[in-house]
Amino acid sequence: MVRILFIVFLCLLAPGLVSMGYSLWQGPAAWSVDSGVFWGMPISLFVFWIGLAHAGTLISAIFLVLDVKMERRTSILAELATLCALVVAVIFPLMHLGVIQNFYMVAPYMESRGSMANVCSPLVWDFCCILAYGLLSVVYLVVHVLADKSAVAASIHRPLAWLLFPMVLWVHTIVSLDFAATFVPAWRGAFFPIYFIVGAVFSGLAMVNIMLCAEGYRMRQLEKLMLVGSWFLGAFLLWDFALKGNLSVTVLVFAVLLPQLMFVSAVRESTLGRVLISSSIIVGLLLERVFLVFPSGVMGFGWVDLGLICFGFGLFGVIFLVARLKLSRVIEGEEVLMGEVEETVPKRPATGRFSYFAPLTTPEFRMLRFPLLLGIIACTLFLVWVVGCLEENGIAFSDANLVPLTCPIITTVAGIVLCLRPLVMHIGKVGGAVMVALAALLGVLAGMVYGGVTSVPSGAVVSSTGDMLDVGTLPDSTSTLDSVAIIRTKAVFEARCAGCHGADGRLNEKFVREYYPVPQNLDVSRMDALGEDSLVNVILNGRTNMNPYAGRISPQMARGLVRYMRLLAETPAVDNAATQNEGGDE
Amino acid sequence: MGMDRREFIKWCSLLAVGSMLGGCRKLPFVGDAAKKDLPSLKMFEAEVRRAMSKPSHRMELVRVPMPGRLKTPGASLENRFGMAIDLDACDGCGKCILACIQENNIPLVTEDEAAKGRFMHWIEMRGGVPFMCAHCGNAPCERACPTGAANHTPDGLSAMMYKRCTGSRYCGANCPEHARKFNFNDAVQQGLSLKFNDKVPVRSKGVMEKCSLCLHRLQDDRLEVKTAGGVWRGRGVNTACAEACPKKAIVFGNWLDPDSPLVKVARRRDLYAPADLAGFDPSIVYMMGGK
Repeated sequence: MVRILFIVFLCLLAPGLVSMGYSLWQGPAAWSVDSGVFWGMPISLFVFWIGLAHAGTLISAIFLVLDVKMERRTSILAELATLCALVVAVIFPLMHLGVIQNFYMVAPYMESRGSMANVCSPLVWDFCCILAYGLLSVVYLVVHVLADKSAVAASIHRPLAWLLFPMVLWVHTIVSLDFAATFVPAWRGAFFPIYFIVGAVFSGLAMVNIMLCAEGYRMRQLEKLMLVGSWFLGAFLLWDFALKGNLSVTVLVFAVLLPQLMFVSAVRESTLGRVLISSSIIVGLLLERVFLVFPSGVMGFGWVDLGLICFGFGLFGVIFLVARLKLSRVIEGEEVLMGEVEETVPKRPATGRFSYFAPLTTPEFRMLRFPLLLGIIACTLFLVWVVGCLEENGIAFSDANLVPLTCPIITTVAGIVLCLRPLVMHIGKVGGAVMVALAALLGVLAGMVYGGVTSVPSGAVVSSTGDMLDVGTLPDSTSTLDSVAIIRTKAVFEARCAGCHGADGRLNEKFVREYYPVPQNLDVSRMDALGEDSLVNVILNGRTNMNPYAGRISPQMARGLVRYMRLLAETPAVDNAATQNEGGDE
Repeated sequence: MGMDRREFIKWCSLLAVGSMLGGCRKLPFVGDAAKKDLPSLKMFEAEVRRAMSKPSHRMELVRVPMPGRLKTPGASLENRFGMAIDLDACDGCGKCILACIQENNIPLVTEDEAAKGRFMHWIEMRGGVPFMCAHCGNAPCERACPTGAANHTPDGLSAMMYKRCTGSRYCGANCPEHARKFNFNDAVQQGLSLKFNDKVPVRSKGVMEKCSLCLHRLQDDRLEVKTAGGVWRGRGVNTACAEACPKKAIVFGNWLDPDSPLVKVARRRDLYAPADLAGFDPSIVYMMGGK
């Protein structure tokens, strides 16, 4: 069975890889987009797969938190599926980019590395949320797997579930805001977050049900929940229809009407019937996402689009099967092997969790207090820094734009601290101190990467008066430039060249580093080696990254600029600290 | 399958070596093979005609007040550049499109793209009305851009930083009128681009672009004035489309400068903007009636 499935998924993956490779090589022109619809298949597939990625955590974390009894093998299976779906999901927005190697610019580094991401854009929120969600999902799966063996892991299992609970809902809310925050009429609607969450959970449940069928057992609860999901989705589809008048009949049939066949016992009781119904839900929701991204109808749906769909399913299947087989020992554990029982009954005895706790005194809350506090502090610091950057640069924003960033930051920090604390306690005081020191070192290193080590602004440019280079103190050079000409040339240099080359001629690194390759370092010997004529020629006609200035600057002025640059090169470097202070005052 | 590990590795390495050898050949790769001669001006003219012959709907126009000062922090109190297009004078000849192509080095598109209507022209005819990015004061595209590549200058231009663009196309999706164009092709490599104007960089594959309101002309003039010292109001600058218009239907100027030709003309006319952009405080408006 597994072997057949594996071959099926490989067969899907192979053409998928071809179309993925073609799309990467060709760029976004490969799939069906046009000048009106800029987003295409990858975004539909992203929303679809990120939706599937919610099922695992939902089933595992939220059910755990809400005390819904669930077998370990089901929840671990679902969590594994979450991770695999997440891997597939993050590929699509990346390959969707026009300039893929620039993806890191979406991270909210703010001005620390010279690329100021726009924190008001839902894509930035998206980036942070998915990063945090992926990280926490891995941690959660590991903790869950370890929970059977170690009491420490078991003790942080439930607090971690409490952390993931809001995170799941948050992530998909943000995904829906990618659409709902735009001005495309078909995408607007305050109900979008709930609509997306319902769709995500619904498709995730269908996926888990298919997996349970493949494993050879079933869970009535999940089937019932899936049925409820179809009613919710139906309600939202009708709502959308009432609001905007567009209704896709195929989605309604596949995702809402066909699942009602679960009421027929013959369908419900046969594995094939359950698989078919779950598949129809998956198809319906995939179609729904496609129709959503192409509000004005799908144009020129080609083989690449189909290939990308295949790629998603194929990759997911292959990763999942490999992980499932490799981890079968861990997943099955001491319990019965999969596929041996027909109907599942919660076997674990109730652990007296129903005893009453006064508000804010539950053991989970006691464990979460400190990590949450740290998370909130980290988040507040981050937000203060962000607001400072925005205010300093005169960028318009509203506080509401920053709210979406809070949850991922708080949850990530709290989750890491939550997991580190028992670890630190476990290895004793000395070990703990070493670990804290190591963490601090890592933090400093990360901070250096984040902040950028060499991002010293070339203060020169900051001082708009430009009195760093006093014309009077220049070496006597009346033979090349008289003092009036120097003032004129200096003005031209500061207006036209200083942007990249820096007012002191030593590069405006802060600007140049992120946008262009660094210009030539023109010290005296190099300038003499190149010769005046060739440098004048570069100014007038341009060179690799230098723009041509013929027509904007006269040849005489270009010659003057070359001489001025040589003067600058002769003057000793200006003290950097002094210029920085000067910059700070402004 | 009767293949053991040793044989499998052997075949894999043979395959790898083979493909590596293939990579070493002197023949150009497929992408380079498509490299053609530089296009001629005639081809650009033909493409403009083709784009104009495509059926398009006329935009729904609504009355708007005269654009005023920008409300964003850091906006200039002296300058807000914009244009007004006189629809009573415009006969939709399309000369502005060609002038814009020549000014801003806009590339051709492949036959395939042209069939899909993915022209790169920054100005296009919508039902006989020239339409370009309206440089909205409260631009929806800039709000959506994740990297800050789409940004507003203090002088009221919605500018693009090509080097910062990561090509997420969110701006394009968020523009109600789809004024933005995406570089689907590597135009230089495919021989679709002709550098008419040295002052404007040719955009690389995968970035968004749109009308820049001839930013390079404005910048050049600004630096000229800055060098001499003085208050810069952008007088004497004109955009390529306004220059090329035989009917003088496109008027460029500074909305905040009472002496600007734009303000002088627009004051006496009724101003309109596309209905779905009117709420975003566009800088480029249409004039009809009045006088």
